[in-house]
Amino acid sequence: MAEHAATSPARIWSMRAVYLGISVGILLLELLPLQTQPRSFAGPDMILLLTFCFALRRPEYAPPAVVAIAMVLADLLLQRPPGLMAGLTVVVSEMLRGRSEGLRTLPFTVEWLTAALGIFAVMIGYRFVLALFVIPQAPMLLALSQLVATALAYPLMVLGCVALFAMRRVAPGEVDTLGHRI
Amino acid sequence: MAKDRRQEEDYLTPLRRLLASVVILALFGLFLVWRIDSPRVERFRAQVVDQVVPSFDWAMAPVNGMLNILRDFQSYTRIHQQNQELRRELQQMKAWKEAALQLEQENARLLDLNKVRLDPRLTHVTGVVMADSGSPFRQSVLLNVGARDGIVDGWATMDGIGLVGRISGVGDKTARVLLLTDTSSRLPVIIQPSGQQALIEGDNSAAPPVDFLEAPELVRPGDRVVSSGDGGVFPAGLLVGRIAQDPGGRLRVRLAADFERLEYLRVLRHLGTEEIQDPGSLIEPELDPEAETGVNLSNAGAGDG
Repeated sequence: MAEHAATSPARIWSMRAVYLGISVGILLLELLPLQTQPRSFAGPDMILLLTFCFALRRPEYAPPAVVAIAMVLADLLLQRPPGLMAGLTVVVSEMLRGRSEGLRTLPFTVEWLTAALGIFAVMIGYRFVLALFVIPQAPMLLALSQLVATALAYPLMVLGCVALFAMRRVAPGEVDTLGHRI
Repeated sequence: MAKDRRQEEDYLTPLRRLLASVVILALFGLFLVWRIDSPRVERFRAQVVDQVVPSFDWAMAPVNGMLNILRDFQSYTRIHQQNQELRRELQQMKAWKEAALQLEQENARLLDLNKVRLDPRLTHVTGVVMADSGSPFRQSVLLNVGARDGIVDGWATMDGIGLVGRISGVGDKTARVLLLTDTSSRLPVIIQPSGQQALIEGDNSAAPPVDFLEAPELVRPGDRVVSSGDGGVFPAGLLVGRIAQDPGGRLRVRLAADFERLEYLRVLRHLGTEEIQDPGSLIEPELDPEAETGVNLSNAGAGDG
């Protein structure tokens, strides 16, 4: 019964709510007017990390619609072109969702590398589209520092998710409430 | 093993894929709409911010307060050193205060003699900073005053001392201030005492560079930089900062406003600079209606001149 608990509808919906709640919390913390001086380096993009962590570990907790809601809100509040970062994130998280099944039995470093590649794809795609549409961009160094920081912070985010919501990877042979293999 | 699962859930997968592609298309569609008709989407963004951010005030205020207390607490560790510094500064300030008092009296006397009228319409609305831009790539803050307080796009914003930025995006209860340090900020200025005109271009650094300077050799580090009012967006003569030179030899502006802590900002009401349109017409004695023709003649003459 214990392994059923992770895929019961109540658990899934509550985890989706948790995902949205954490995203809003992260936005709130970022919006606090603590640092109004321009920074020379950028920290990790926490919402992106959270999304990829969910997509790789428990894809059913972060379906595309929920990811889209969180990311569009972030786009609107953080003064980014609305929809672009959100669209790229949903595309890449869908790709990661497809990979997540194959990653279950592989070591964590592979998962980390996959996530890093996903982060790289989102950020490069973002800059590429901005360049294509002739929209002014942030300095290269700042964007690079964010890319590196985000990739490095992935294990911390995973650790946080495991500690807070016991979000293990799906074990081989695990079944859902209806007895289907997941 | 993976194959088995695919067969089991064959009826669900296409549905899920369809949903995902609809979501993705909608998102990129939103981006395209923004690119084509930016003002409308930006107004929508202002409305969203207007709804979301004030409703989180209850949560943000305590967190902000706690973090500020922590930050202040750190400063206790070097309290002795600070005390010494403050005393030294106080000594200097006393001298300045004396000088300022004398100047103030002198100024009042001179104004009285000249019957100078300072611009009475340059009043301000003060707002509290609610949030910053939230991302390291944009430099802006959100004020808790908006359209209901009469704020209009483009108005200049200052802290107590110097120019901070301009209003860019007004919601009903909130307004966004684009800081001078943002990459999309451009400000026409005059550098005193040489009177050189230049443009300050924000570049995401604390001290924005000076550009389009005609004679850089006339400008020295330490010169005052004030807004020139060119373009009619800002009033002229607002203090921006002082010139400084970076190690690369490039001239930059050390901003007078304290960007470290932006808390209370004043938004200056600016109702546009009046322009003199006509070249002036002939002044003539008032004529009675019978002499209409003469008036027409003289007007035509003035037009030629």
